[in-house]
Amino acid sequence: MHVIRYTTLGIKHWLAVIGGSLGGMQVMQWSIDYPDSIKHAIVIAASPKLTAQNIAFNEVARQSIMSDPDFNHGHYLEKNTIPRRGLMLARMLGHITYLSDDSMREKFGRELREGKLNFGFDVDFQVASYLRYQGHAFVERFDANTYLLMTKTLDYFDPARDHGDDLATAMSSATAKFMVISFTSDWRFSPQRSREIVKALIKTKKQVSYVEIEAQHGHNAFLMPIPHYMNVFHNYMQNVGRDIK
Amino acid sequence: MRADLAIIADWIKPGSSILDMGCGDGTLLKFFRDNSEVDGIGLEIDAQKIERCVLDRISVIQADLNDGLEQYFSDNSFDYVVMGQTLQAMDRADILVEEMLRVGKQGIITFPNMAYWKGRLQLGIHGIMPVTRSLPNHWFNTPNIHLCTLRDFEALCKEKNINILERTVVDHTHSKSTLLMRLLPNIFGEIAIYRFCRNGVQINS
Repeated sequence: MHVIRYTTLGIKHWLAVIGGSLGGMQVMQWSIDYPDSIKHAIVIAASPKLTAQNIAFNEVARQSIMSDPDFNHGHYLEKNTIPRRGLMLARMLGHITYLSDDSMREKFGRELREGKLNFGFDVDFQVASYLRYQGHAFVERFDANTYLLMTKTLDYFDPARDHGDDLATAMSSATAKFMVISFTSDWRFSPQRSREIVKALIKTKKQVSYVEIEAQHGHNAFLMPIPHYMNVFHNYMQNVGRDIK
Repeated sequence: MRADLAIIADWIKPGSSILDMGCGDGTLLKFFRDNSEVDGIGLEIDAQKIERCVLDRISVIQADLNDGLEQYFSDNSFDYVVMGQTLQAMDRADILVEEMLRVGKQGIITFPNMAYWKGRLQLGIHGIMPVTRSLPNHWFNTPNIHLCTLRDFEALCKEKNINILERTVVDHTHSKSTLLMRLLPNIFGEIAIYRFCRNGVQINS
């Protein structure tokens, strides 16, 4: 998708390529595939490859979509259906993994929606209401097949695989300067994974900076205006801007 | 530049690579970048200092030195590993010294000398914990949990099979050593600076 954009836009040299999560991994891939075209690579809340646990979450999400009777083996648009229930479940699961235990506790605790337990299977707790809302909203703006493909893309991402499982060798062709950013409470793409990226970059003598932002929002932190995160990003981009001249 | 940093800058050969452990706002690395062809990277824990480094185009890694260097650096990654006035605040100074020589060919360390005469006077005569310009904190709020003297550090090097290549002492105001400091460094040296390597490692200098 982005390679198409890369060639169709006709832009040969990129001053900075910035991405978070899957986007961060795309930044890594670009820096490998187009080593001379990218000056700054900013990799946020990413990972050199997914862990088994991470792939497992994606698999449950995919199964929930594919087992929805409205999925119709992927031809749901022809049949005029949308696998709403499956996509909603996938999003609810995903959303849990993008938050942290602490952030959910702080946001919802065990707060009840109607102030009392109803002893039924409707929504009792605020967190359940929130998740259902997130799931419903997602169905309106996201395509199920795209969800399947994107999670598969994540699962397959492993630039080191063709290089004897050595990330440093895989990244060695890159010439970009790197800025790597991770978030302390992100357990889906944890700081540990970002440190692996940093170690590989240092090993191959790349210019790299790395910050670990103190944040309690889990993976979603990369979308939040956290002051330290914003300052580091702003400072780095100021220098990127100076490189134009 | 701080006196100890100026001496370190003098010791490091152009064209080499350095790791600055506890690089602060990147003063030393900036000096190298602007004045000689030394390729450097810093480690720092403080968020604001890191923001400063990033603004100044210094490569910096946000890390806690107490977690070790294993997760960022392979063996023999640098010509020099520098640690300026940070050793005494670390959980395990001995392990960190060894880590310096795993990651780099040479180590350079500076630390406040606990046996400086003013400190001796305060402890020996007045019977109170020393508070000096190089050790400005009180016993109850000091980050310096592993203070040592020149003798202590040299004993550690001996035990760890570490070869001391160069040693100098300075005070806070002068970057050059006086005669007294050269004759009795463990009494008149306020800040100690050492350059060292693993015994048996060939250093051309």
